[in-house]
Amino acid sequence: MSILSAISNKITSVPVFWRRFIITGLSALPALYILQLVVRIQTGERDLLGPEPGKALVWLTGTWAFNFLLIALVVTPLYRLLNQRWVLVHRRMLGLWAFLYTSLHALAYATFLLQWQWADITSEIVKRPYLLLGTGAWTILLALALTSTRWAQKSLGKRWKALHKLVYFAALLASVHYLLQIRAGWFEPVLYTVLTILVLLVRNRRFEGFWKKSDKI
Amino acid sequence: MIIQQRKANDILPSEITPKSTYLNRRKFMTGALTSAAALATSPVLAIQSADGKPALSSPNELQKQILAASETAWGKDETLSPYSAVTQYNNFYEFGTGKTDPSRYAGDFKTDGWKVEIGGECEVKGQFTLEDILKPLDLEERIYRLRCVEAWSMVIPWIGFPLAELLKRFKPLSSAKYVEFTTIEDPEQMPGQRSVFSTIDWPYKEGLRMDEAMHPLTLMAVGLYGEILPNQNGAPLRLVVPWKYGFKSIKSIVAIRFVEEMPSTTWNDLAPQEYGFYANVNPKVDHPRWSQASERRLPNGLFSANRIPTQMFNGYASEVEGLYSGMDLRRFY
Repeated sequence: MSILSAISNKITSVPVFWRRFIITGLSALPALYILQLVVRIQTGERDLLGPEPGKALVWLTGTWAFNFLLIALVVTPLYRLLNQRWVLVHRRMLGLWAFLYTSLHALAYATFLLQWQWADITSEIVKRPYLLLGTGAWTILLALALTSTRWAQKSLGKRWKALHKLVYFAALLASVHYLLQIRAGWFEPVLYTVLTILVLLVRNRRFEGFWKKSDKI
Repeated sequence: MIIQQRKANDILPSEITPKSTYLNRRKFMTGALTSAAALATSPVLAIQSADGKPALSSPNELQKQILAASETAWGKDETLSPYSAVTQYNNFYEFGTGKTDPSRYAGDFKTDGWKVEIGGECEVKGQFTLEDILKPLDLEERIYRLRCVEAWSMVIPWIGFPLAELLKRFKPLSSAKYVEFTTIEDPEQMPGQRSVFSTIDWPYKEGLRMDEAMHPLTLMAVGLYGEILPNQNGAPLRLVVPWKYGFKSIKSIVAIRFVEEMPSTTWNDLAPQEYGFYANVNPKVDHPRWSQASERRLPNGLFSANRIPTQMFNGYASEVEGLYSGMDLRRFY
């Protein structure tokens, strides 16, 4: 525990403004990487992501959306483990990044795969239920992003907490959304599902005793 | 030799491969021979003749045979998918489930000394080397559309021979109702077969009904784009059945068996409600998880999906629909 608190003290010695700055910079890196891929493909490097670059970008944005969702979800358990409030300070921002990447993923799907042919969307949704699950997860994150302000937090009172617990449901939807796309390689979808379930278990107070006690020894 | 005439319902492409490109292709092929002969370091030339000069070993013979392939009218008006797309976007799960895994991991795959085991309901059985198989054959080039069950498609200039010409030599018995094909099983060379995350029961198996196998459209390919088949495309010997979804066109074949009962096939075993034994391209029968009414002709751009309507039997209906007369293609998908 002493090592953890030593690290924790080191981090808290950095002013919160700089910590936010660093987290923003790191979180923006995948988006910048994706953006330069788009620019390079459009400026002549047509083979950069293979013969189906749109699909590749939809997968890439989807992976990062899930990564940030898991990162945001792990903040609260981390706070409980370290018992340090500074972790919580960054939860809102990480959640907003998860929402941003999920939106990029939806935008990439609508632009590159659907080509904004909304006439096709009904048949697509019927044929591909995972689209519905993905849309559901994004809608939840949208609601959470819109109510992420201090003002919303205050005016919603107790209901705010109930509303924001929906993030766990969004994570489960995202897992099933991913699992439904398995053809033969199941490693990544199953890995993300296992991570999601782990985070949800760790987050659940009823299971907290298991890891918190063992950690103090 | 089958003289093929264009049928009324053949695709009329919006773009035609320019003549100069076509002529350059022949030039490129001649160049490939010269450079192949010059590459003395290549393992295919390892056999030395008495005077110490590299002797022509079999892959080189194959290259010569490929260069001598005759042109056919098949797909002459189609716009070819570029070589990079054909060779770097593959489903060959033996090398991994990612589309770029085969081109990444198949480079060192050994195909020399390749043998094919022939068995089952036929008079002539045994092991045949690739040279045995190819010796009496004249190769031809055929440009076929390839429609993947995942709703993308390409146009590929294959070099090969009609499967029927090969099968006849083994004198199938009247009890031979189906033909079963098997891909090589070699986990040491194939990372996808080593992977614990794959749900496929190796080796990969496919099958055709006898009349499908003997149909003049059914091709055995040994080359593409005027070259020896790249490993990731199923070297040295693969099937091409252009009116069926791509997974029927089994790669790197090591066994052909004539059988009486419908053989079990890999994807059909894995998910029978998604992949049928027949797997004929059919825009009216959807995959349970996606529509088959249209396809993305690759390569496509970020802002142009290149979506085109899928045709019955992938546009080869006038040639093959007779094989399925009276069959309910919704049931036998």
